[in-house]
Amino acid sequence: MKIKIFLTIFFISFNLNLGSNEPINESKIHKNLRCLVCQGQSIADSNSDFAITLKMVVKDLMKDGKSEDEIYDFLSEKYGDWILYNPKLNTGNLLLWGLPYLVLVFGGVIIVFLIRKQSKKT
Amino acid sequence: MLSNTGNFLLILSILFTSFIIYQSFACLKKTNDMIFKSIYKISLLQSTTILICFFTLVGAFMVSDFSLINVYQNSHTLKPIFYKISGTWGNHEGSLLLWVIILTIFSFLFLITNKNHPKNYRINTLIIQNILILGFLFFILFNSNPFSSISPIPKEGLGLNPILQDPALAIHPPLLYVGFVGSSIYFSAAMASVITNYSGKFFAQSIKSWVIISWSFQTLGILVGSIWAYYELGWGGFWFWDPVENASLLPWFAMTALLHSLLVLEKRNILYFWSIILCLLTFTLSVTGTFLVRSGILNSVHTFANDPSRGIYILLFLSLMIFASVYILFTKYKPTNDQINSNSKETFILINNWFMMFYLITVLLGTLYPIFTDAISNNKISVGPPFYNSVIIPVVIIFLFFMAIGPKVRWIKNKFLNFKDLLKIIVGAIAVNFIITYFFKSYSLISNLIIISSVFLIISTISDAIKKPKINFARIISHFSFGFLIFFIGLNHNFSIEKDFNLKLGETKKIDNYNFELKDLKLQQYDNYKAVIGKIQINDLSTNKKRTLNPEIRIYDNPQTLTYEASIKTNFFRDYYLTMSNIDRSDYYNIKFQEKPLMIWIWISVVMLSFGGFLSFIRNAKNN
Repeated sequence: MKIKIFLTIFFISFNLNLGSNEPINESKIHKNLRCLVCQGQSIADSNSDFAITLKMVVKDLMKDGKSEDEIYDFLSEKYGDWILYNPKLNTGNLLLWGLPYLVLVFGGVIIVFLIRKQSKKT
Repeated sequence: MLSNTGNFLLILSILFTSFIIYQSFACLKKTNDMIFKSIYKISLLQSTTILICFFTLVGAFMVSDFSLINVYQNSHTLKPIFYKISGTWGNHEGSLLLWVIILTIFSFLFLITNKNHPKNYRINTLIIQNILILGFLFFILFNSNPFSSISPIPKEGLGLNPILQDPALAIHPPLLYVGFVGSSIYFSAAMASVITNYSGKFFAQSIKSWVIISWSFQTLGILVGSIWAYYELGWGGFWFWDPVENASLLPWFAMTALLHSLLVLEKRNILYFWSIILCLLTFTLSVTGTFLVRSGILNSVHTFANDPSRGIYILLFLSLMIFASVYILFTKYKPTNDQINSNSKETFILINNWFMMFYLITVLLGTLYPIFTDAISNNKISVGPPFYNSVIIPVVIIFLFFMAIGPKVRWIKNKFLNFKDLLKIIVGAIAVNFIITYFFKSYSLISNLIIISSVFLIISTISDAIKKPKINFARIISHFSFGFLIFFIGLNHNFSIEKDFNLKLGETKKIDNYNFELKDLKLQQYDNYKAVIGKIQINDLSTNKKRTLNPEIRIYDNPQTLTYEASIKTNFFRDYYLTMSNIDRSDYYNIKFQEKPLMIWIWISVVMLSFGGFLSFIRNAKNN
């Protein structure tokens, strides 16, 4: 009983402590954009002219009140999907986003099957 | 001269290798259980020859013998001797020679250390391993020969890429190679095991040490590479999910799964075919990784100069390997009757394997997917950190809970789980998380869960160690440090501070709780580069403590390259990380400042993780 009370208190306090919804984070957007003239770097990590220009573009778009996704849409239309480190969830990328979870479910089914087989025998 | 010596030694190695294969087949025909003495002798000669061959190349680098194209392209007389030596494996050709060294030495060691296993199994392992060696030797000799000569002899070399001139990077390839090239020996052993029908418990015992040792080195190799990326690439992160990093992580997942499934095979004599698949998978992934990196198919921070013909050879080799192993597996496969109880250690180890396969597939898919979309729809996409983080992290939470409970469960059939204890531990974990969020900073739901699950694993592992004094300490240390690792990554992620701003000489800028002042810039001339060294004073306004960091902009001569050296101040609580770079057509400098809490603990956790592996290796060697 003690434990239960203890647990409830902790769960409540823990729920109260959840981080607030973060506002649009400029550096998060920078980290999600590939510096197209560099070798495997985001524009946040680069000082190339390209990165500097793109950072200014992002700033302007944010000033215009564009949301994070709208900024990504705008840039990927202009430069192609190659610029986004976080691949979009669309039909072309369905396999990419879906297959890992499919494997997870499939693996789980195999394990359950292995164990079931055993419990039927005994 | 060295060119001839090198080529001679390569050809000699090929002859020895062929002779070993020939003698081994002859030995298989004999009915007695003795391996020819000559096989031991030639194996020793083979290892020695390939070592001398490698040291010939090292020698060529040390004396800067530019009659070798390889030395000419990757070295320079003004380079410090240490980097002349490490330049040997800092390129495609030389590193392949290192590959073959590990293949041969492991082959020799496996031959002499497995005397209590049957002859046919050992000989078959030797044959397969030597076929691999032969494949790589031919590749070196005909396609990637480090001893190719050039005429007329150039006076000066082109130099080694400056970002590779670094102690961590110099030792990182050998460590990684022991890891993933080392996995070749259990690839060969697994094939031999299927061919000779030497299965089950004894097979597990014969390869266990090899799996553990390669896993430990792989872990260390990944760590050193990651540390290098942290201070050399200048963006302050330790993992970018770069294709090259992924290539080292993929075999690690397979090895980790294998490491655990072997325990089941050894104890319960089940999961034999699954373990075989993992053996084959580990080495196949190692070669795949090499193929992807060397062929230049993947865009990465550190691909070597690209040459499509290399890619084709490795791809051919890889296809043959996969085809042969799948063929052998299919012809010899026998359905086994694996009896597993749901509440048993076996089940939990299966769960470990299940998650490892999930991580593996996710990382593999993320790495390869861009190639496919590019080939099929001409649409080039990037798969970067946000993808991996959002797919993997939620699953890690569940994984950590299983990882904590698994070792408490007994083999075959567990009687009951002590739920009361588990409840206490989880309350403890939530309490720790609550204290952190209460006193420092709140963070997202997923971060809360990561911290709770990792603390759960840590406490639960410690309580295991306290309850049972005679417990397997290797396991305790590894599981504990994995919990530690995730815990510190979680905290580091949530409490990192990043600032990006411009400063000019003499200027002071106040950002949040810090005052930054660019006090001085000085130009210094070194042997092989000159550097602009900044002196930046950071004043922490809350504690009034002053720190000085000295980031550098380096201009290397050979080859002409500009690099930015981060200045890092490390202590047990946090790292201060600062890079400075010049801005064209302006006297301002761009400053990137990061405060990374508990950074050093991430490294320490991984060192402990691999230490657990080494401990397990010693323990295993004592038991056999």
